[in-house]
Amino acid sequence: MIDPVYLDNGATTPLDPRVLESMLPHLGGRRGNPSSLHAFGDSAREQLEQARERVANLIGSSPGEIVFTSGGTESDDLAVFGLARSAAPEKRHAVVSCVEHAAVREATKRLHSEGFEVSWIGVDEDGLVDPDRFVASLRPDTALAAVVWANNEVGTIEPVQELAEICAGKDIPFHTDAVQAVGRVPIDVAKTPVSTLALSGHKLYGPQGVGALYVRDGVSLEPIVYGGGQEKGLRSGTQNVAGIAGLGTAAKLASEEIEGRIAHERELRDRIMAGTAGMPDVSVNGHRGRRLPNNVHLTVKGVEAESLVLVLDSLGYAIGSGSACSSGGHKASPVLLAMGRSEREAFSVVRITVGKDNTTEEVDGFLEAFSTAVAQLREISPLYAG
Amino acid sequence: MSDRYSAQVLDHLVRPRHAGELDDPSGRGESGDAACGDVARFTVGISDNVVAEVRYQVYGCAACIAAGSALAELVDGEHLLAAARVSKDDLQDALGGPLPAGKEHALTLVLDALHKAFEDHWNSKSGEMLFAEQGGRETGGKSVVAAMSGGVDSAVTALLLKEAGYDVAAVTFRLHDGEKGSRSCCSPDTVLFARDTAHRMGLPHFTLNLKALFDRRVMQDFVGSYSEGRTPNPCVACNAHVKFHASSFLADELGFHHVATGHYARVDDGPTLARPVDESKDQTYVLWPVPRDLLSRTIFPLGEYRKTEVRAIAEERGLAVAYTPESQDICFIPDGDYRSFVRKQVTAEPGDVVDDAGRTLGRHAGVVDFTVGQRRGIGVSAPTPLYVTEVRPRSGQVVVGRKQDLEVSEVGVRDLNWFLDPGEAASVQVRYNGSPVSCTVEEETDGAWVAYLDEPVVGVAPGQSAVFYTGDGERVVGGGVVASRGS
Repeated sequence: MIDPVYLDNGATTPLDPRVLESMLPHLGGRRGNPSSLHAFGDSAREQLEQARERVANLIGSSPGEIVFTSGGTESDDLAVFGLARSAAPEKRHAVVSCVEHAAVREATKRLHSEGFEVSWIGVDEDGLVDPDRFVASLRPDTALAAVVWANNEVGTIEPVQELAEICAGKDIPFHTDAVQAVGRVPIDVAKTPVSTLALSGHKLYGPQGVGALYVRDGVSLEPIVYGGGQEKGLRSGTQNVAGIAGLGTAAKLASEEIEGRIAHERELRDRIMAGTAGMPDVSVNGHRGRRLPNNVHLTVKGVEAESLVLVLDSLGYAIGSGSACSSGGHKASPVLLAMGRSEREAFSVVRITVGKDNTTEEVDGFLEAFSTAVAQLREISPLYAG
Repeated sequence: MSDRYSAQVLDHLVRPRHAGELDDPSGRGESGDAACGDVARFTVGISDNVVAEVRYQVYGCAACIAAGSALAELVDGEHLLAAARVSKDDLQDALGGPLPAGKEHALTLVLDALHKAFEDHWNSKSGEMLFAEQGGRETGGKSVVAAMSGGVDSAVTALLLKEAGYDVAAVTFRLHDGEKGSRSCCSPDTVLFARDTAHRMGLPHFTLNLKALFDRRVMQDFVGSYSEGRTPNPCVACNAHVKFHASSFLADELGFHHVATGHYARVDDGPTLARPVDESKDQTYVLWPVPRDLLSRTIFPLGEYRKTEVRAIAEERGLAVAYTPESQDICFIPDGDYRSFVRKQVTAEPGDVVDDAGRTLGRHAGVVDFTVGQRRGIGVSAPTPLYVTEVRPRSGQVVVGRKQDLEVSEVGVRDLNWFLDPGEAASVQVRYNGSPVSCTVEEETDGAWVAYLDEPVVGVAPGQSAVFYTGDGERVVGGGVVASRGS
């Protein structure tokens, strides 16, 4: 059998061989603790600071504003809880969009159960947050606001520039989850006044288990992990040096290659969109223009997502069913429900996310397999009258 | 249990067997709903009780699609009795072992759709005027259709018959919409529970949809009785027109000889009904209307056991039903509030509360709220307690009096079903929880009978059953309905 084709880069990207190369020295041979004073420690610390510089460079921050974490979820949790707990005691209100990744959504729900009032900001049918509704929800006692940079399921890019400026003007801390966006959308925190920004290594051709939170100078944050005071006290625990080195390399490569990647991914994405546009009862979810360059999110009428993913898997193509995080149980994605879809529609969605290494041939082969799989499943579907 | 699908599941997913829909099926069944995320549909072609053709469709996860395919393969070409015996465990084996956690509902979903297709098949054979003309056929063979409600009595009934060497087919009736569970894939459901119980005993299980029949013969009669000042007994109406006829229909279709239920009673020569071993559970009072020809093919295995023994048998054999609570209420009014139930169906007209001399003592909100013998809720204060002695639906009057005014020493009985010579009637029971009273009977000109009681009784309500017993008190001579005064 030929190698399966991977079109689920929104779940995780392949590890770039150049990234792997840069990690290997830290996994074997001389290893030091970055907190140690001796030469071993020095060497590890050097790696750490080089990576910090590279990540900072990718998003336009200064290295001192980067906190390394175990990944996107920890970064989001640190931001949500950290901002909430460092706010003045009378500030017990949060403004959060309905299309957040589970990391922000669940952390916010936890805040709510701890007594926070939460204003959940709805979206239009394309998943776009309405800035007017957002502004109207901000109050003097708002401790934080959070809106995802680009939604992980449907790929819609939110008006973060505008929202961040509004919050900056009112002195309200603003967090954005940019896990899907970093490396695929130009980001410059020097121009976009977010307070905190979460990113992850493995969506960026880096290793899994490592991420970072950008924390703007002057923004105060309570840690959620206590211990030896590493990462300026914001994230105690000996750093994952190999992982962080890999993240650094991935960030460096992204900075260098971002324009080419965007162009390539966009071309493949549009090819899939054009190919599926001709298929009956297949429609695109998410905003057409304000969209991640690698994301195609489809409703396939009369076909349940998991079965479609597995039939395609048997044909050698790996795609995502809805959101990778919510497909474990048969629960409709809250993001799609927020976009006004019915539960039934929400069970019939798949996500195809291309990457920098996919080819036109792979995409063409996918389109053929997709068409075959959909036809086969519709033939046995009681909910599709073709 | 693994998180991944087995090779068999993936094979059925990628190469589904018997996919599609029959153009002119004998039966069609659907289960699940789109909001649950899974829908299964089966169409079957049945001839001579053999599943000659089967097609399935599924919208749902891979497990559901594969389960549908595997189930279709298991039942294709099989006799209905074998097809209806295929259990969740059999299906799981065909799919290469336990499904991943959270996917077990796939087995229930597709089995339910197939069984609904069988149900549709039976219903299209019986027609809407179901079973009215059903009669018994020859008896003697060791095959029996056992009615199974999901409770402990009917489960043990089926089990005892199986252990006695009978070929047993279990049947559950859909009688009304008050049953628990609307999403069969998600919630507990009486039919699903009964099916699981039957399958665990290795028995084929069928379902018959009797909602139209039950509505017409039992529920409408129940509601109508209150409007007409009578006190109905819906279990009697069900035994008279529904349960035994439906079981007998299925027995005839399957070529089976007997029918069985979990009632506590015995069938004696005559045939007639005889009291069970456990007199505290005696149900002969509600079984009097079962037609003779149906009774002649009926077996009541529990007539030989005490209730405590029945529970012990269920526990010993590991039946999950062993611990189900005793059902007391009318099955279609689970909360027991039958007044509210009746009031939802009829418009009650206010009227007068009067004494036996016709003097108005007060007002009431509707005759449907009253039955003869009732003491509470009359709304008129008096030095001695007042009882309802008569309900007059035409004039809207509720007559009240003292307790002794309720005493009667003769009872009119109509709609009789005699098992033995009426001359053998030595006593009569006029209430479910009452005791028989010595009497003599006499036929009137219009087919009705009168029972002359040796001593007066109170609380004889029109609409209730009057059941006559033999001199030794052990056997039922016959039964009928207590007639309204003056009717």
